[in-house]
Amino acid sequence: MPIRTTALRVKHRRTLVLDSLDLDLGTGVHGLLGPNGAGKTSLIRVLATVAEPDGGRVEILGHDVGDHRGRTEIRRRLGYLPQEFGYYPGFTVREFVAYVAWLKEVPADAVPAAVERAVVRVGLADRIDAKVRTLSGGMVRRVGIAQALVNEPGVLLLDEPTAGLDPEQRVEFRELLRELGTTATVVVSTHLVEDVAAACTEVTLLDEGRVAHRGTPASLTALGAASDGPGDHPIERGYTAALRAHRATVREGALR
Amino acid sequence: MNHDTLGHALAAQVAAYADGSLPESDAWPLERHLESCGACAASVSEAVRASGTAPRLADVRAAVLAEVTGRAAGTAAAPVPYAAPRATATPAPPLSRLARLLWAVGPAVRGAWLLGVLSAAVGAAGLWYGGGVPGARALLLAVAPVVPVAGVALSYGAHADPLHEITASTPSGGLRLALVRTVAVLAVSIPLLTGTGLLLPASGAPAAAAWLLPALALSLATLALASFTGCRTAGAVTGGGWLLAVTAPVPLTSGENGPATRLAEQLARCLDGPGTQGAWATAAALSAVVLTLRRTAYDRPLRR
Repeated sequence: MPIRTTALRVKHRRTLVLDSLDLDLGTGVHGLLGPNGAGKTSLIRVLATVAEPDGGRVEILGHDVGDHRGRTEIRRRLGYLPQEFGYYPGFTVREFVAYVAWLKEVPADAVPAAVERAVVRVGLADRIDAKVRTLSGGMVRRVGIAQALVNEPGVLLLDEPTAGLDPEQRVEFRELLRELGTTATVVVSTHLVEDVAAACTEVTLLDEGRVAHRGTPASLTALGAASDGPGDHPIERGYTAALRAHRATVREGALR
Repeated sequence: MNHDTLGHALAAQVAAYADGSLPESDAWPLERHLESCGACAASVSEAVRASGTAPRLADVRAAVLAEVTGRAAGTAAAPVPYAAPRATATPAPPLSRLARLLWAVGPAVRGAWLLGVLSAAVGAAGLWYGGGVPGARALLLAVAPVVPVAGVALSYGAHADPLHEITASTPSGGLRLALVRTVAVLAVSIPLLTGTGLLLPASGAPAAAAWLLPALALSLATLALASFTGCRTAGAVTGGGWLLAVTAPVPLTSGENGPATRLAEQLARCLDGPGTQGAWATAAALSAVVLTLRRTAYDRPLRR
């Protein structure tokens, strides 16, 4: 399994944000859904080896994130797009992506080609020598995706990658996701249920730091078709139905 | 094409498409929709699997696989590498080692810190050549060791580096990056401030290069301390500590000498003589040892 968490616990300022989370994520595109504060970003930051787990075990690409050497090995094969990121104002797209390639220890002679390839994949080939600060918000996000791809990662973690993209760009981005999911383990956190329906092979729904539902997008759609819960779209109804079912079980467990 | 209210293909249309009876004018927009809708694509493939087409598709697939694997076995062709770089018409300009190093230097050397170093050097030179102030070198030597410390504090960490969230997930984003930036800061400040010091008259102050070992020791101590406290606090402690040690005794000591001479005397106590310089070298070595022991702290973002 490229990603495996066992009894993962994460705290943020003394509140528990992820509680005994067991996840096995294989090659493919995994959608991470859930309300605000469900723990999506916390999970992605732990998987990106940026935040430290407070308990449990996290293995990525066969290495333990708690181990110094293992962590370095993981980071060479990791791509991470944070929800928010900055850039050096003077850098061009090419320089920005090349700088991250250097940080990811891509061999120096492979960097120029790897940078071009990553920038072409996000559709910014014609802006490669433009300064990042002159680009629109959606383009900056695509630069962020390019830097995540530059080392051909085995594990790719994208936190809200479609925020700020227009509908056409989102359709193109889903195409890229499906392509990446054939060789890598891609984890995408998103609020846009239709992105999940279109591009993901698996869905994990988080609520208050626990897994509320796991399955394929089709299973969530089926759940929505069987319920009369709120939502304008079968998969949206599936999302709310799964959340409600999970919360009901949690309440019952608490009452007992 | 008929949609249900939510923009999804009707079940009847999907079934007709699966068995091939849907008119072409309806099939085309449906296919367009399927390209971007996983849910509908899934229901089409379910419908196909349920129809009579499934066994025929399985036969075709088996035949294709047999043909391909048979050929591969016959010619022993190597698999095509996934990441073969595309040949482009305009090759990328080569990124020179120097350019990469300059980028790695990060925020401090390009930003306000560089202005600070330059103004320290120009200010000290101006005091002597413009105003004839005899204590110019003493002032420069008192300030110089703080300059690289400030550079380190402003180069690394979430408060200083807009890219920090990304660098924190990379193999080189930890201590290696912090050291590269420290070296860059030293490479700018050492020649500039030592050179300026040489242009100024001694007037009792130590030699122009006497601050180098203290600067190294304080920079390494800042990095070591930063593994516990974060860069800003560490820089404030080591830089502030130095300034206090050099300037605090000056107003307290009495005598007919002016403050410039007393500062020069205090600097001589802090910098002159093989014993003092040896102590700074030992401090630098000790800081390096602590930093080595604490290196894994740089694997995670430091405290703010």
